[in-house]
Amino acid sequence: MVIALLVAYGTLVAPFATFRANRIVPGEAKSILAALPVSAGVVLLGLMVVAAAIILLKTPALLRLAAAAVSLGAIALFIGLTATYLTPPENTYARVSPASGFWVLLFAYALLAADSITRLRPRPGVRVLLLIATLAGATAILVSGLWDGLSILKEYAGRADVFWLEAGRHVALALGSLFASVVVGLPLGILCHRVEPLRAGVLNTLNLIQTIPSIALFGILIAPLGWIAVNVPGAAAIGIRGIGAAPAFVALFLYSLLPVVANTVVGLAGVPREANEAARGIGMTDRQRLFGIELPLAMPVILTGIRIVLVQNIGLATIAALIGGGGFGVFVFQGIGQTAMDLVLLGAVPTVVLAFAAAIVLDALIEMNTPSQNRGRTA
Amino acid sequence: MIEIDGITKRYDGTAVVDNVTMTIAPRTVTVIVGTSGSGKTTLLRMINRLVEPSAGAIRLDGDDNRSMPGYELRRRIGYAIQGHGLFPHRTVAQNIATVPVLLGWDKARIDAKVAELLALFQLDPAIFAARFPHELSGGQQQRVGVARALAAEPKVLLMDEPFGALDPIIRAKAQADLLDIQKLLKTTIVLVTHDMDEAFHLADKIAVMDKGELVQYGTPAELVTNPATEFVQTLIGASERPFRLLSIETAGQAVEPGTADGQPVDAATSQRDVLSELLWTGRDALPVAAADGTLLGKVTLEGLARRAARPQ
Ligand SMILES: Nc1ncnc2c1ncn2[C@@H]1O[C@H](COP(=O)(O)OP(=O)(O)OP(=O)(O)O)[C@@H](O)[C@H]1O
Ligand SMILES: [Mg+2]
Repeated sequence: MVIALLVAYGTLVAPFATFRANRIVPGEAKSILAALPVSAGVVLLGLMVVAAAIILLKTPALLRLAAAAVSLGAIALFIGLTATYLTPPENTYARVSPASGFWVLLFAYALLAADSITRLRPRPGVRVLLLIATLAGATAILVSGLWDGLSILKEYAGRADVFWLEAGRHVALALGSLFASVVVGLPLGILCHRVEPLRAGVLNTLNLIQTIPSIALFGILIAPLGWIAVNVPGAAAIGIRGIGAAPAFVALFLYSLLPVVANTVVGLAGVPREANEAARGIGMTDRQRLFGIELPLAMPVILTGIRIVLVQNIGLATIAALIGGGGFGVFVFQGIGQTAMDLVLLGAVPTVVLAFAAAIVLDALIEMNTPSQNRGRTA
Repeated sequence: MIEIDGITKRYDGTAVVDNVTMTIAPRTVTVIVGTSGSGKTTLLRMINRLVEPSAGAIRLDGDDNRSMPGYELRRRIGYAIQGHGLFPHRTVAQNIATVPVLLGWDKARIDAKVAELLALFQLDPAIFAARFPHELSGGQQQRVGVARALAAEPKVLLMDEPFGALDPIIRAKAQADLLDIQKLLKTTIVLVTHDMDEAFHLADKIAVMDKGELVQYGTPAELVTNPATEFVQTLIGASERPFRLLSIETAGQAVEPGTADGQPVDAATSQRDVLSELLWTGRDALPVAAADGTLLGKVTLEGLARRAARPQ
C-alpha cells in the first residue's frame, strides 16, 4: 500500500530527470512525459500503472518480485533514454541526472523486491545468486553504454583511472582493516573468554575507543603515527605516516576490534555448558575442544560481528579521504567542495552498493553456519 | 577393578569429598547416592580426572590414573551426563564417532562401530545416523549420549544422573536397556543418581555419600537390613523397606513348586512387581514362566511376605 503510494508519487508528481546546461547551474525538472519521447513515456507510464496494480492486489510473492525486477529494469533503461533525448546533440556541457521521481521509484521497487524476497524465504545460496544477477544486470547496462549520457557517468568518464584506483584503495582499506581486526580480535576474544579477569577491562577499553568520533580519532592518531614514521627506521618506507592511509587503517582497525572481540566472547559464552563438559569428559584436549566444538558453535555469532565490521568499515572508509587516505570519499568530498552533486554520487553510490552486497553475502554465510535454522526449513 | 584409596577433594579448605576409600569390582554396577551437594559428582569426576584430587589415589586395574595425561585417560573411560551433552553441530553418527576419531581408528572400523552401536540402542542407522541432535526425542538423545560414551569400547563407564531428564516410562526402559547392555559388553559402570528406586533397580552395590563422606558401601540388601547410619535409613525410607527388599530379587528367585491359575509372570520380573500384580488381581499365587515360556512353578503372596520381612 505504502509502496503503491510511493510509485504513484514517483510517477505522477515528482520529476523523473533533471536537465542542466552545465554541471553546476541549478537544473530544470522534467516529468516522465517531458523527459522521454512520447511513445517511450507512455510505455513507462503504462508499466508503472500495471506495477501499482500488482502491488495493490493480493498477488503471490513471486509475481510481485517479478514486477519489481521488471520495473527496476524499466526505470534503469528509461533513465538512460532521457539522457540521450534531453541532451542537445554535440553538447558536452549539458548534464542530465535522475531526479527525485526516479529515486522514489527506485526506492519503492527495491522495497517491493526486498519484501517479496523476505516472503519467499529463499535459501542463502539463492539470495547470493539473486544479488549476483542484479549486479550482473547493472554491469550489463553500464557496459552497453545506455547510461553514458547520465551526469554521474560523465563524471566517471572524466576520471575513470582515478575511480578504479580509489575503488581499490577503498576496498583494501575496508577489507584490510577487517582482516587485521579478525587476526587480532579473534585470539583476543578467545583469551578474554578463557581468562575472566581480562574480560571487563578489554571490552571496556574497546567500548571507549568506539565512542571516539572518527574525525577525532584520525586527529589523535596523527601525532603518534607521525612520530613512528620519523623515529622508527623502515616505518616510513612501508607507508606509515601521520596522514594518509596509515591512520585511516589504524582507526578502522580500532573501531573493528570491539564487534569482533565482543561477538567472539558472546559466541563462546553461548556454547552449551553440557557440550563443553562432554567434550572434556570424553577426552578432547583444550585445543581440540576449541577448534572442534567451541569455535564452530560460536561461528554464527562471530560472523555477525564480522558482518557489522565489514558494513561499518565500507561506510567509514569514506571518511579516510579527509586525511588523504583515499577511497570513494575522495569523490564525495571533491563533489561537496565543487557543489557538484553528481560527483558526490559517484563516490556515494558505489559505497552503498558495496556495503549492501557485503551485508547480503555475510548474512547468507551466517545462515549457512546455523545448522538448526537451515534444517528446520528443509525438513 | 577401580580402587579408590583415601581420596579427598578440598575447595577453599572445605573437603567436599573426604577421605573416601572403596573398591569397585569389575563388570558390576555401582550406584552412588546421597543428597544434593554431598560430593557424588566430584567423586565420580576424580575417577577420570575431570577433577584432580587434593589427596589420595585412584587405581584402575592396578595402575594409578595419573600415569597418563588426563585426556588420554578420559578416552579410555566412557562418560555420560544428564542432558546428554551431544554436540549440536554434529550428526548422530559424528557424535558417536568422536572418541574413535580422537583415537585415530580407520574409517571402516569407525563406521562399523557406529552402525553396531546404533543397532544396539535400537536406532535405525538409515534414519538416525545423519540426523542432528535437535531432531531426536529426549530419550533418543540420551541413548546416543550413552552410545557415544561406549564407542571406544571402554572397560569403565561413568554416568552422572544419565536418566535425570527422562519421563518415568522412557526412564524405566532406559534402565532396562542399560542393564542388558552392561551384561552384553561386561562394562564396569559407576552411576550417580538421586533416585533411590533407580539405585535399587540397577545396583550390584550402592555407595551412600553424606557431606563428602562415604557413610555406607554395600549391596542393596545390606543397606536395607543393616543401615549404617540414621541418614542411610532416612534415605531408604523406613516405610519402603519391605518393598526395597522385594525389588532387589526376581520372581525366579522366589519360585515354589506347584502350579497356580492366571497369566504366568516372567521369571525376570522383580518380586515387588509380582507382589503388586498379586494384590491388584486379588490372587494369592501366580505361575512363573522362564523367558522361553516353560513353567517353573509359582510365586505366592505368603512366600513374598516372608521375604519382605526383616531378616531375623
Ligand atoms: N569447582 C568447584 N569449586 C568450588 N566448590 C565446588 C566446585 N565443584 C563443586 N563444589 C562444591 O562441592 C560440593 C559437592 O558438589 P558435587 O557437585 O560433587 O555434589 P553432588 O553430590 O553431585 O550434588 P548434586 O546431587 O546436586 O549433583 C558442593 O557443595 C559444591 O558447591
Ligand atoms: Mg552432581
